[in-house]
Amino acid sequence: MKHIQGSSLTGYVTVFVKGIQPELFFQRCSEQDIIVWNVEKKSENVCSGNVKLQDISRVKHIKRGTDYKLSFKNKRGFPFMMKKFTRKKEILVGLLLSILLIFFLSNIIWEIKITGVPKDIEEKISEQLTQYGVHQGTWSFTLDSPSEIQQNLINDIPELLWVGVQQKGTSFLLEGVEKTIVEEDEVEGPRNLVATKKGVIENMYVSKGLPQVQVNDYVEPGDVLVSGKIQFTNDEQTDDDGEEEDEAYELIAAEGEVIARTWYETEVTVPLKTNYEQLTGDSETKYHLKMLGAEFPVWGFGNPEYKDIHRERHEKDLYFFKWKLPITFMETILSEKTYHEAERSKEEAIDVGIKQAKNELQLRLGPEAEIISENILQETTENGKVKLILYMAVEENIVKYEPIDQGD
Amino acid sequence: MKKWQQRIGPWLSKYFSLPSDVMMELPRVTMIGQLHVYIENHQGLTVYSDTELKLKSNKGYIQISGSSFVLKMMLPEEILLEGNIEEVKFIPE
Repeated sequence: MKHIQGSSLTGYVTVFVKGIQPELFFQRCSEQDIIVWNVEKKSENVCSGNVKLQDISRVKHIKRGTDYKLSFKNKRGFPFMMKKFTRKKEILVGLLLSILLIFFLSNIIWEIKITGVPKDIEEKISEQLTQYGVHQGTWSFTLDSPSEIQQNLINDIPELLWVGVQQKGTSFLLEGVEKTIVEEDEVEGPRNLVATKKGVIENMYVSKGLPQVQVNDYVEPGDVLVSGKIQFTNDEQTDDDGEEEDEAYELIAAEGEVIARTWYETEVTVPLKTNYEQLTGDSETKYHLKMLGAEFPVWGFGNPEYKDIHRERHEKDLYFFKWKLPITFMETILSEKTYHEAERSKEEAIDVGIKQAKNELQLRLGPEAEIISENILQETTENGKVKLILYMAVEENIVKYEPIDQGD
Repeated sequence: MKKWQQRIGPWLSKYFSLPSDVMMELPRVTMIGQLHVYIENHQGLTVYSDTELKLKSNKGYIQISGSSFVLKMMLPEEILLEGNIEEVKFIPE
């Protein structure tokens, strides 16, 4: 029976043979290696039997030159089913539409879930997300990648310490962590104010404690600026009768600000020749569908007539239900760019160098420090670069809290 | 030459117990109760109807009679017959 296995997949036909001794027709067929099964004699002159679809042309060939009449009925099997199915246009169109619908629905963001943050920040986040275009009912492939959204959110909402953005099928999951403003770790209890850097004191604002230095004093790191140990005068001590002489002082937490002038030496090198690229603002966007490594353009044909092109590519995955399709949606932004080559004079280079050094220093010291003056100690020009050694004076707070060891 | 082969055939199958259908090109008829008859090594169908099947073999014909016959399968030298079998008859030429 294995000979007729799979015939329902490849298709078979019931052949009715009419003529004198119709069974002999099937005998001829089997002589030609055609498998015939379920042969039945319907009447004296009619015989029916099943024949595989692929053998039909040979059956017709055998029939030639004989007096038999063939008729094919009961077409069965997958090929015939497909034929019947494709003939019904409505079903085909309906099927296509439903697949398209599911495809569209699979690529829409249906839910945005924000967890881990209080209500007010949640609202802020969802507001920001709407600005980025992330809201219910948007196409997921028009959105930026989750990591970009994550970065933007952290930049735009200062209250957020961290946010995890995850796209899970049709929903966006955001998990936020709020920044808790930690009180500055102050040394509790008695403490001194100590210098962190060497410098000349410009100003002192002491609210608590005993100043140990004066304006225009030079201090080294570790020098006590304001002491938290207050000695009582003898008069006061006599008031506290019965107190021992060892305890003739009180320990307090010193507090204050000491602004000192400090110095920094920095080195910068500035090239005399610079190259930079600039986008002219003209751009074109192209869309492709990428399938199995090949790209098919969807929108935007031909190349723009730009001399130099800056390409930016974004790849978006497409989904069908939860399955990632092997097709990705590619967006390519072609922007025109121009190369600029500039040469600057030595003076300009020095200016740029000073500015650069100032910025760097300011970044290092924080916004409270103030750069007062800068001097060029040394300048050399070699290999098309200007090397500067700068000397900068800064006014900044040099206070550090240091607990007083009470020796217990 | 052919005679010699024909004479050695029965001898071989007798003394070496080789299958005689292979040695002597005889048809092999297998029956399952009254339901099925499986005939191999036949040489063509001559008559087939609802009640009768006649096959040619190398030494005459095999005639099977019964009722409601259906040929379940037809291959070049094999036939599987289904139906209500009453009689299997060998008709010498």
